[in-house]
Amino acid sequence: MSASRLLWTAALAALPGAVLAAYALGARGRRLYALAAAAAGLLTVVAAAPLALEFFRPMGSGPGNFFLLSTVLVPFAALLWLMTVVTTPSARLDDAGLARTAAACLLGMAAFLTAAPAALVLIWIATSAILAAGHLEPRFEAARRVIFSHLGLSTILLVAGAALAAWARGRGDAAPEQWGLALILSAVVVRKGIFPFHAWIPEIFDQGRIGPAVLFNAPQLGAYAALVLAVPYANPALLKTAAGLALVTAVYGSFMALYQADARRACGYLFVSQSALVIAGLELPGRGALVGALLLWVCSGVALAGLSRAVLALEARRGRLRLDVRHGGYERMPLLAVSFLIMGLAVANFPGTLGFIGGEMLARGAVNSFPGLGLFAVAAVAMSGLAAIRMYFSLFCGRKDSGAHLRMGRAESLGFAAAALVLLGFGLAPGGLTRVLSRASAALISSREVRSR
Amino acid sequence: MIAQILRCGVLLALAAPALFLAVLALPSFLGWPWSESRVGLLTRTAFLASFGAVAAAGLAYAAGARAPVIIHLGGWFSKDDGFSFDLLVDGWSLGFAALSIGICGVVSSFSFRYLHREPGFNRYFVLLVCFVGGLLLVALAGSVEVLFAGWELLGLSSALLVAFFHERPAPVDNGFRVLAFYRIGDACMLSAAVLLHHWAGSDSLSLLFSGGASHLSRLGADHVVAIAVLLIAAAAAKSALLPFSTWLPRAMEGPTPSSAVYYGALSIHAGCFLLLRASALVQYSATTRGLTAAAGLATAGYAALSGRAQTDVKSKLCFASLTQVGIIVVEIALGWNTLAFLHMIGNICLRLLQFLSAPNILHDLHQLENDLGGSLAAAEEPPAAWGGALYLFALERGFLDGLLDRWLAEPLERLAAALESLDRRLCRIPAVFFARGGDVG
Repeated sequence: MSASRLLWTAALAALPGAVLAAYALGARGRRLYALAAAAAGLLTVVAAAPLALEFFRPMGSGPGNFFLLSTVLVPFAALLWLMTVVTTPSARLDDAGLARTAAACLLGMAAFLTAAPAALVLIWIATSAILAAGHLEPRFEAARRVIFSHLGLSTILLVAGAALAAWARGRGDAAPEQWGLALILSAVVVRKGIFPFHAWIPEIFDQGRIGPAVLFNAPQLGAYAALVLAVPYANPALLKTAAGLALVTAVYGSFMALYQADARRACGYLFVSQSALVIAGLELPGRGALVGALLLWVCSGVALAGLSRAVLALEARRGRLRLDVRHGGYERMPLLAVSFLIMGLAVANFPGTLGFIGGEMLARGAVNSFPGLGLFAVAAVAMSGLAAIRMYFSLFCGRKDSGAHLRMGRAESLGFAAAALVLLGFGLAPGGLTRVLSRASAALISSREVRSR
Repeated sequence: MIAQILRCGVLLALAAPALFLAVLALPSFLGWPWSESRVGLLTRTAFLASFGAVAAAGLAYAAGARAPVIIHLGGWFSKDDGFSFDLLVDGWSLGFAALSIGICGVVSSFSFRYLHREPGFNRYFVLLVCFVGGLLLVALAGSVEVLFAGWELLGLSSALLVAFFHERPAPVDNGFRVLAFYRIGDACMLSAAVLLHHWAGSDSLSLLFSGGASHLSRLGADHVVAIAVLLIAAAAAKSALLPFSTWLPRAMEGPTPSSAVYYGALSIHAGCFLLLRASALVQYSATTRGLTAAAGLATAGYAALSGRAQTDVKSKLCFASLTQVGIIVVEIALGWNTLAFLHMIGNICLRLLQFLSAPNILHDLHQLENDLGGSLAAAEEPPAAWGGALYLFALERGFLDGLLDRWLAEPLERLAAALESLDRRLCRIPAVFFARGGDVG
């Protein structure tokens, strides 16, 4: 590792580390919040610096490599942390939550900087523990059971699969290796909520805490584990089966999101649908689908984290939100309403948002592999978009709301606006990001081809 | 030189609304909206610049070879990424673009007074300019991505304008319903785009729009029919052809100027324009011709009948417009493209005038009676020969809303409820192992 890269990595670790250290030393309340916000803002800038440099490198120059993907995913994790901190309503500020958020960011960045199976397994376990730690209070018992059961199962599958694959690879035995990879993919299926294990994600949004649920789902660590541990080695037939299952899940999740009466469950199903689309794209053959999936990964992460945090911000003011009634309030918080709409349009892969190119590349890749089933990607996106816009109409329109308490804080509003502008900015000028991801995908595909030989 | 003027004119026509949108929307988004007079000045400048640019491009086209020109503006993110930003310029695209900008300019001038001091004044103009941008992209699209981008912009701006008075529940409900129909059309169009790329390896619309049978031979017969059916469905959803007609009267909840420009004039004809451009596809086989003609004929009959029994002027006008749209679609199916284009322009201008004067209709009638010196004939009664059932059928717009709710929306809602209940039970199965004394329920 070069000295500059080492320095960069140390700076990345130091910023969330400082928040964790301050919490351990007893910093609480507004001081901890201010430190977390400053650290998250600085981290986003530091993490995005190498990506900004990569933007200016033309498509053909320089070989792609695996860590090019980190150049995109590390700032993505930092941005999620920043969004989480600044959009937390003051009524919901929670010191332990701020520490958990910093730890989740640190783990997310560590995961995106490594390809070592042992490190990924440990991070997998640690992120599961963070989600469980957010649900230790007795009122979350139902959610805690669901979390323990599903993440316990997925962790057992991952450990068994990674161990079996490594053992078989050491002996040069292909059949047990494929069984190991099947176990790893099964672990991803459970963790990411792919059919038939889809039901637990909406359940933890509904019965548990929305903040930890977003922190767990938005970075898509499961997708990264699949990309690093299974996709380069797995049998194409196995990958195709998993991709087909993911496409079915994407349609199912978006259909269910469209008919939800509860805003939290709608967010959960939207996460199921979009995560499934990403998984499908990663497992399909061809560079287009892979680039599309990587773009959707970033887009859906930011957009769905923003939508869910907006639901949390509204819940802090109005209580539990139903979608079968109109809440109004656009005139009181137009910035949040418009940001919400833009984030919803990003989920709909609307032209001008980051999801547009990614969604179409993914749909093309899906149709190339499954001419019939591939159109499920189109149907899933259409229904997800409709579900997100239904949420917008329900949460911000339909009646005149005169409650002055609905006004947003400046940091909150700017946090949502920044997320919306990121989605629009990269959507209108997708060139730099797409070139970097395209080169990263070329490296991933070539590693798949080398291994298949 | 002529080619340069054509290229610059087309690009400026597109750039002017885009620039205006950025200048108007960004300050409003950040909480510093422009004053009404500034919005007026900016809007007029943008529309005049755009119209002048299209007019210059039109003159350059007429002075040149008068053959379709493809303007290739490169890929979205690299030279050969398969996502090309192409514009197809010919007489039809320039004509439709000029008409769109001209009509939106007239409507924006009307709207300054109509929406004076309305809380959503800036929002209205942002959406109107989104609409113009969408129309220009649809008119000038040379690649599937450009067409799809324009198509989506049209749909979104349309639905948000139906829900413009968003402090009331009815416009919001109707806006969502309109959007739901548009999303069906959008999904059909995106499916057509993806399948075109899969089967032909190209995104170029010149393959479909200006190619005729020779270009289409790159695709198999079944593939052409599949793409044609998807495009016809997309056009039907946008132009409210049967079976999608039910959203049209619901779209009248928006401000009258937006109803004029969307459902009286331009938006409802966007589907006709798409079919006109893709006439090679429509004419490809008896199936596609028959499907198009059947949709047009059924829509014309349905709209003519429903329009006779409507009790408010906007609904009457929208059904009158839809009747003509149905006939235009039949003309396209018969291959009478020039007639269809002229018919479309005539219908657009007439309905725009009728919609814009609709709020004054009582005043105009009183003025007419004063001028005549006596009262006009009483309102027309439904002919006795109609019979009660037919009248009720027309009044209730063919009971389409009820049928749709009963046979589609409600069963889907019940299915979702059943699946949700199943999901709740499903996720608790593994949790049984963590339960204390069987308290999982």
